Amino acid sequence: MGVFTRALRNISRKKLRTLLVVIALGFSMAIMVSIPSGILANQTSTEQLIGNFDTTITNLEAEINKTLTLVECSISSGFTEQRGPSGGFQPPGGFDPGNMPGLMTRSVTYLNESTITDIVAIEGVKDIVAIIEKTEGTNQTIQTPRGTFQILVPDYTIVGVPLNSSLIDNYAFLPTNIVEGRNLLEGDSMVVLLSLNNTEYFGVGVGGSVDILGASFTVIGIYEPSDSQEATNLYMSLTDAQTITDLSGKLSRLEVYAVDQSHVDVIVNQIEQLYPEFTLTTYETRLAQLERQQEMYATTLENAQATLSQTQTVAYQEIGIAVVATSLIVLFIMLYTVRERTHEIGIFKAIGFSNGNIMSQFMLEGILMSVIAGVVGVAIGVIAAPLLSSLLLPSATRFTSNSPGMNSPGIGTNLLGIPFTSAMTASLNPQLIFLAFGAMVLLGALGSLYPAWRASRTSPMEALKYE
Amino acid sequence: MSEIVLETDKLNKSFKLGGREVHALSNVSLQVKRGEFVSIMGPSGSGKTTLLNMLGCLDRPTQGVVAIDGVDITKVPEKKLFEIRRNKVGFIFQNFNLLPYLNAIENVELPLESIGKSKEERRTRAQELLKTVGLSGREDHRPNRLSAGEQQRVAIARALANNPAIVLADEPTGNLDQKTGLEIVRLLGRLCVDQGTTIVMVTHDSRMASETGRILALSDGKLLVKEKEGHLMTDKATKCSACGRELPDDAEFCPRCGKKL
Ligand SMILES: Nc1ncnc2c1ncn2[C@@H]1O[C@H](COP(=O)(O)OP(=O)(O)O)[C@@H](O)[C@H]1O
Ligand SMILES: [Mg+2]
Repeated sequence: MGVFTRALRNISRKKLRTLLVVIALGFSMAIMVSIPSGILANQTSTEQLIGNFDTTITNLEAEINKTLTLVECSISSGFTEQRGPSGGFQPPGGFDPGNMPGLMTRSVTYLNESTITDIVAIEGVKDIVAIIEKTEGTNQTIQTPRGTFQILVPDYTIVGVPLNSSLIDNYAFLPTNIVEGRNLLEGDSMVVLLSLNNTEYFGVGVGGSVDILGASFTVIGIYEPSDSQEATNLYMSLTDAQTITDLSGKLSRLEVYAVDQSHVDVIVNQIEQLYPEFTLTTYETRLAQLERQQEMYATTLENAQATLSQTQTVAYQEIGIAVVATSLIVLFIMLYTVRERTHEIGIFKAIGFSNGNIMSQFMLEGILMSVIAGVVGVAIGVIAAPLLSSLLLPSATRFTSNSPGMNSPGIGTNLLGIPFTSAMTASLNPQLIFLAFGAMVLLGALGSLYPAWRASRTSPMEALKYE
Repeated sequence: MSEIVLETDKLNKSFKLGGREVHALSNVSLQVKRGEFVSIMGPSGSGKTTLLNMLGCLDRPTQGVVAIDGVDITKVPEKKLFEIRRNKVGFIFQNFNLLPYLNAIENVELPLESIGKSKEERRTRAQELLKTVGLSGREDHRPNRLSAGEQQRVAIARALANNPAIVLADEPTGNLDQKTGLEIVRLLGRLCVDQGTTIVMVTHDSRMASETGRILALSDGKLLVKEKEGHLMTDKATKCSACGRELPDDAEFCPRCGKKL
């Protein structure tokens, strides 16, 4: 029977008290593990946010540099209304068909290839990259308050590009991240470059053949898409694309490159005069877009950081409270225990136990109790950490639900890759558990220090008289 | 061998009670030889417990000298007093003062733990001691399963554990009936004879005191009787047929040589 067994026996003697203390301390401990893990999760996702932000900015800047001299020409596509008694479409419900908009179908308008001749003649134009795009998929109608729309759910988008080596080398219209096979080259015909998503859809690999709109193509390479827009694109030569889509002489878009930036305005003016129906996009509008995006990013980031620091402040306060509560609980319960066992202290002293012996006896009991509480606390923490941290920390949901412009292509997708709130439920890390356990034992020792010291200083004569 | 094992000289103890000084002990001078069984008698409040507390280093005198085994304990610093209690003194109390959550043998082992004896040594010694006090086979019983007399026997075994120079017993029979009380006092007497233990016992029961070798009387904090060896009622003193020691009337054995009468 040593001091340790005696401590254990004393703890188990007062079962209800020990139970209550252990539960109270256990919750303190659970708070000490859950909150930092919530914070760590927040921190990680904020860091990811910052990292993604940087990458996106770099990508955008690279894109801007490449397109300094670019004027993009296209004709905007839109929805047109199909109505009238013979339209074949009956709106549901008992609405007056006269007041109801008809079925809105998407109309795609192409440019004529002949426009190239006019534009190439404009002074300052260096190169023109002519591109055709056609999306294949299934039609679906959706009801909205503004009418019924027919939309296309894409299976794949055929992208026809000029396979001219000087154009390929100078301008970035082909994907760059080839994961298998090779990229398209000048002179390629009846071959196709598939995205990873396409290979899944068609179920073919490099060297296989794939049937596209009735024509058979050989898969020359596979690329990894850089954003969700690009994901369903398959690339082939412009002529092949025009042939299989029955769009000979038609184009979706012209990428007009000026010899230098100073010519861009003149070129835009000239094209506008020649083709007022064209939608023109230049570096300036791109720059404005970029700036808007940058602002949006900065705001999002600021919000994230503000919430993080707010969360941290709250967390520190709560951990502080848990720490103080733990020490106080141990302090009071041990003071009570010492008082209750005053007579026993007298006996120990009479028998010949030193102040040190008595001090270690009570210290050990306090520490042992906090060790048990630590184990219980880890258990509570493991079970309830996500709940505790979401209860005790300010919510961070606004990052996923409310971020402005999160759906803008090319940027939002990167950000949306990290759902902020789900990171909150990150599991407890073992280091943290270890740390909190250590803190618990330390606080147990700290809280027992004064009561144990008092016990050791009790006068044996007084103690023996105490009943 | 008449070595003095316990000695006090002009021992004084006063307590301050609400500004008033209570003189619990005044100039108490006494000597106890090794192997003696001495009783201290006196009415309630006469200072018996106070004196015993001084002798056992549970409290410090206001003035005077207390020497145990040649050590003047009034010169021992407060922090070292536990060593005297640990090595030189064994206590027996009126209310036994056993730890309720330890069984008999664990209670007896406690002092042995304080002097750093190994588990095996403690067990062997405690078993031996329990046998000496007649409690073999009761090792695993907690105090609440022992009778009052048995509890006091455990307390005696515990007091003897560290081979103290002196055993101090404060009314050890106070919570026992007459018969059990006598058994306990006789057990103490036998230990005194068999093992040469020095015992100072406080009692206010002359029946118990008469079992001891010498009686000291305390009244109002002053020692009254310091005459010849023996008890207060020695008018028709009988003597031990073996060693010639004066005996109490109803002694069953000689406190000096242990001869059964
Ligand atoms: N701690 C104390 N504080 C104040 N007075 C005390 C204290 N201990 C004992 N006394 C007083 O000292 C006197 C002797 O007490 P005590 O030694 O307990 O007597 P006894 O044991 O003979 O009954 C009593 O008057 C008692 O009130
Ligand atoms: Mg008393």
